[in-house]
Amino acid sequence: MDAQYKVIDPVKFYRDHLAHKIRPDGRGLLKFRPAVINVDSIGTADGSAIVKIGNTTVVCGVKLELGVPKPEESNIGWLVPNVTLPPLCSPRFHPGPPSDEAQVASNMLAEILSNASVLDLRALCVVPERLAWAVYLDAVCLNHDGSILDACVVAAVAALRTVRLPRVEHDADKDITKVFPDERSSLPITGAPIPTTHAIFEDEVILVDPTSDEESLASGLVTITVQNDQMCSVYKPGGSPLADENMQACLSRARTRAIQMNNLIEAALAARDKEETKDQKLIS
Amino acid sequence: MPESDSSEMICIPGQRLCLADKEHIPGCGTYERHGYIYSSLAGIVNVTKNDKKRTIEVHCCNDQSIVPVPGDIVTAKVTIVNQRFLKCVIKCIRDTVLSRPYRAILRKEDVRATEKDKVEMYKSFRPGDIILARVLPMTDAHCYQISTAENELGVAIAHSEAGIPMIPISWTEMQCPKTYVKELRKVAKIIPENSLSDNTKSVRG
Amino acid sequence: MPVDSRRIQGPDSSVPFMLYSSREKKDYKTVKSEVFKKGLRKDGRKWDQHRKVYLKTSVVTQAKGSAFIEQNNTKVICSVFDPREIPRKSDYSVNGELYCEFKYAPFSCLTRRGHQQDAEEKEFSLILRRALEPAVCRHEFPNFQVDIYALVLQDDGSALSAAITCASLALADASVPMYDLVASVTLGVHDDLKFLDPTAEETILCNTSPRTLQNHGTIVFSYSASQQQISEYAQTGAMNLDCITSAIDILTRACDDIYPLSQQCLVKSVAKSVKKKKKREEKLNRERAILADENEPPTNE
Repeated sequence: MDAQYKVIDPVKFYRDHLAHKIRPDGRGLLKFRPAVINVDSIGTADGSAIVKIGNTTVVCGVKLELGVPKPEESNIGWLVPNVTLPPLCSPRFHPGPPSDEAQVASNMLAEILSNASVLDLRALCVVPERLAWAVYLDAVCLNHDGSILDACVVAAVAALRTVRLPRVEHDADKDITKVFPDERSSLPITGAPIPTTHAIFEDEVILVDPTSDEESLASGLVTITVQNDQMCSVYKPGGSPLADENMQACLSRARTRAIQMNNLIEAALAARDKEETKDQKLIS
Repeated sequence: MPESDSSEMICIPGQRLCLADKEHIPGCGTYERHGYIYSSLAGIVNVTKNDKKRTIEVHCCNDQSIVPVPGDIVTAKVTIVNQRFLKCVIKCIRDTVLSRPYRAILRKEDVRATEKDKVEMYKSFRPGDIILARVLPMTDAHCYQISTAENELGVAIAHSEAGIPMIPISWTEMQCPKTYVKELRKVAKIIPENSLSDNTKSVRG
Repeated sequence: MPVDSRRIQGPDSSVPFMLYSSREKKDYKTVKSEVFKKGLRKDGRKWDQHRKVYLKTSVVTQAKGSAFIEQNNTKVICSVFDPREIPRKSDYSVNGELYCEFKYAPFSCLTRRGHQQDAEEKEFSLILRRALEPAVCRHEFPNFQVDIYALVLQDDGSALSAAITCASLALADASVPMYDLVASVTLGVHDDLKFLDPTAEETILCNTSPRTLQNHGTIVFSYSASQQQISEYAQTGAMNLDCITSAIDILTRACDDIYPLSQQCLVKSVAKSVKKKKKREEKLNRERAILADENEPPTNE
């Protein structure tokens, strides 16, 4: 019965729920969904992370390749972040070129990563004008249940943290490149931006960490990215206006969320390191 | 062999359920092959007894993947209305909610059973209305045709211009409880005891 | 190459760093001797031993049905959606269609995969469709298509077989009427060696062959066990008849082993959803009772 109600009149369905200060999934208005982070689970990637926020699942994998730096900026390497929203993750998407939503998400991810200077691109350059690393970062959504950007950015940051860059030697005279896959070092990751999405329902109610249904009904969305307790970007694509005090409240929530997420990332990395040392002990 | 209806028997596609003979008839969610009844769904076996005959059915726990069949009662949302027909999307088939809606057309001559020539589409439906309708036999391969030519069919939920759900006051009119503005609709007569109308009733709150 | 304006672009050309690896390249003979040593494969399996299969249904909540399969390092996820109208189609078809899309995630293989479907992925999509079509009651949804998407998260050989087994489970999970479930297994053949459920390394060995070799290649074999029907047979490479006959025998037995795993997984998921449904109904009834009390004066005002 509930399902029929939701399909026939979704706005009223939500209005009735929100009047009781509870969301259809049982959460309070300002409650986040539980998040789970798992790192290095994809063996074929050079670095990877899986992030689950409620039902929303994003797998992020990094592939390293060697290429030539840009002519205009010859001393930096490439970071190529892309968000893929395959038709697999939601009935909204169809096969073919990336949907608008995927393009927006890709650009937002790229912008957040570059604004927060997560990765010093100069460290990716091997020989200026000749050889540089290209870090292909692909965030693939497996289950789209809202707040996709939050999951993508967290997955991207966690995946970058797991990348180990091999040592490269380049002989410029003979044009010979040599890679030592057994001698690796971590990428210089300097930041961890954490976005938090809020949905505005009927111009007044603010819902934190919205699901896909809530996003589609919302009259406005606002994503605040926080890094090191500082605001790093705000993305509010139109929609209903947001009062100043509400904005402040959103920001403070985003700050607490960022701390929690950072702790989760650290915990996931620590868990992996522990596993690795255990494995090494077993081998030796 | 499923004997009692009380104990739940789980079955999966390709599972042989029983012999297909005069006494056992394959129903929904099953198929017959080489004289046996097999399950075609993952779900619970259900046996209905009807004087000596037993119909073997399999019921899914989640919503079955179905498409509208002529004769089905469907719930649809009106998207476009013009003088000759309206377009809508089917949201539910009987009690089953569809995750992917199907498009359907309601032609002017299928709105009412009587005085068909006097029907005016704009005075019967507006975009956004939720209607109950019956699926007509397929004539066009691309689109379902539906009909509201029964007393129980027509507009079930409609919002006034103030955005408030309206209350039916006659079989052609609905009224907004806030502004008291009356609007014309082909109103469905909703019978509470019917399970389907029961749904819409409770939705209306 | 045409520029893809809808994605963020990297350098014009970049190559996997392993091409410049300082590690010595192994020649064919050492590879062959390493892959199969003293009757055991690199991961300790016997030649006719399948990797452990882990299956799970309903992993994608947004899809009608879905499944995840893990064969050690091969991981595939599949989702199935409700029937939808076939786009750009004018005539009526009595049987519904299956639309299958098989895709590798960019990071799933040793070398990076492109975002667009390449020729291999298109071929695999077709094999996936042919393997599933005989198992689905297509007459139940005439003029409609059911979308099946398979995404390989990590490929360590036999990804297509994993995808077929997984997709059949996802279809059943989506309550699409089916005649039977489909199980699929891959066999790699190289000279006198056979590898059931080959890893990526073994697949590469089976697909490269010196000219003198008579038997080499891989067979992707899909089988409906309770109907005892082969739904799809896809072979690469060349094999003589004796080899094929014995291969089919081996593969049929292997599918018979995999099939019950799919069945068990499905039974578990049905049992689970029955339980859930009961709980939900109880909860709903309780909630409705509470709401009815509060809602006595209508909230429409």
